[in-house]
Amino acid sequence: MGVFFYRWIFANLVYAMVLSYILDPFVSWFERRRIPRWLSVVSVYLLIIGILAWFTASFIPDLVKQGNYLFDIFKSGDQLSGKYIVNIPFVNGIYRFMQDMDTKIPGLTLAPKMIEILDSANSALASIPKLLMDNYQNILSTLSLIATIPLLSFFMLKDKYKLRKAALELSTNRYFELCVILLRKFDTTVGTFLRAMLFEVIAVGFMASLAFGIVGVPNSVLIGATAGVANIIPYFGPFMGGALAALTLLINGGHIITIVYAALAMYIVQVIDNNIVYPLVVGGTINMHPLLVLLTVIAGGWYGGIIWMLISVPLVYITYSLIKVLYTNLQDFRII
Amino acid sequence: MLKLIIRWLKTLLLKPDKNAALRRFAIFKKLDSFELYQLNNFLHKRSFKAGELLFDKDYPLEMIFFIEQGEIEVVGNAHPSGYNILKKNQWIGLIDMFHENVRSSSAKAITEVHALAISRFDLSDLINNNPHMGVKILTSVCESFSKYIFQISTPRDSSLSILSSSGSSEPR
Repeated sequence: MGVFFYRWIFANLVYAMVLSYILDPFVSWFERRRIPRWLSVVSVYLLIIGILAWFTASFIPDLVKQGNYLFDIFKSGDQLSGKYIVNIPFVNGIYRFMQDMDTKIPGLTLAPKMIEILDSANSALASIPKLLMDNYQNILSTLSLIATIPLLSFFMLKDKYKLRKAALELSTNRYFELCVILLRKFDTTVGTFLRAMLFEVIAVGFMASLAFGIVGVPNSVLIGATAGVANIIPYFGPFMGGALAALTLLINGGHIITIVYAALAMYIVQVIDNNIVYPLVVGGTINMHPLLVLLTVIAGGWYGGIIWMLISVPLVYITYSLIKVLYTNLQDFRII
Repeated sequence: MLKLIIRWLKTLLLKPDKNAALRRFAIFKKLDSFELYQLNNFLHKRSFKAGELLFDKDYPLEMIFFIEQGEIEVVGNAHPSGYNILKKNQWIGLIDMFHENVRSSSAKAITEVHALAISRFDLSDLINNNPHMGVKILTSVCESFSKYIFQISTPRDSSLSILSSSGSSEPR
């Protein structure tokens, strides 16, 4: 019951644990160079902060400019009807295409429906600032809770061995070696899987950034990096990356053909990822049938949205591995 | 005056070696302070009551035990001379680590035992990831094994006098 009531705290602990598993090899690298653990953790954090600062300084000015452009559009509330929006160049092309279809196919009425959809979208978007102001307390508390994750992860990394020793001290002598085996299996499975996923994210992010840069998508590095992160979600993540690139092109007044090129570029990146990167890097760590992976992702999405789509596959795999090891060792240690 | 200040600064900067006691185990005697600190991260303190079983024959081999206090009786593949009681500053599980995945004997605490336990996989990782440390540990292990082989290959009377002077060794 305590876990249920304090589930937000436990959720943050889990996210912090994930972050600490990802950063642990880098900390261990420093530690092997005879740097004390606390200093190794600080060094890794400083490196990450430096990379984030460089990223922010490079791309924030462009994002602010685009954000101001969008904000100016939202501010002109009364003028921002569906009939006004279809006159915007990049939307006008789609509207004209729909008018052609309506002329050729009697009774289709795509163009009037598009104006209706834009009108309803406009009223929904206009309510966003009020929504943000009404819920500012919830937003701030969520943001502050998220900010505790790196802090929790710092202490988990620094005191990793102490936490491990403290956990194993709780076991009796009869179950001590079994607990050590389970803990090692958990460490190996989770750590290897997370690091493989991180490598895949970096590889897809790099390839997507390169592909979008060639095609001419604005802020290709940022969009490519986001596509790399979105790629974590099996089967559905790649579509999100492509959709983001398409949206960026639309906002910046890009030609329709550029969107097709961006989609093609994302497709090529996915082919390379699915046939080379994923089998080599992640496929070796996880031994699940693709149908089982798809069903797990769908079930996770139905249960808890995008976050559960992301964590359902590793959760199922880790649970299965631990149960298998536990059963085998309970027999070997003659407990059952 | 300056010498006094420098001496005082040294006492602040040079912290006492918290893990120096680990050097009483022969295989760790050559490790420096930082290496002992790295090793200590993987050591678990365990206590066993008199008569309690540490492990049984054919159990999966996971932990190596270093005895800090107490006596352990090894039952199974005993030393040909009958030497199968392990005492302070000795260890058990190290020989099996290199060629077995299961225990070749069982071990029971005769008196109350306090021991340090390390997983054989953690020890292997330490040796592989820290080559300098690994070389020191493996050299010490080889020295201990060569003493042990020498002991069992010499006649009984002379082997007893060697046992009393050589320190730590481990029966199978």
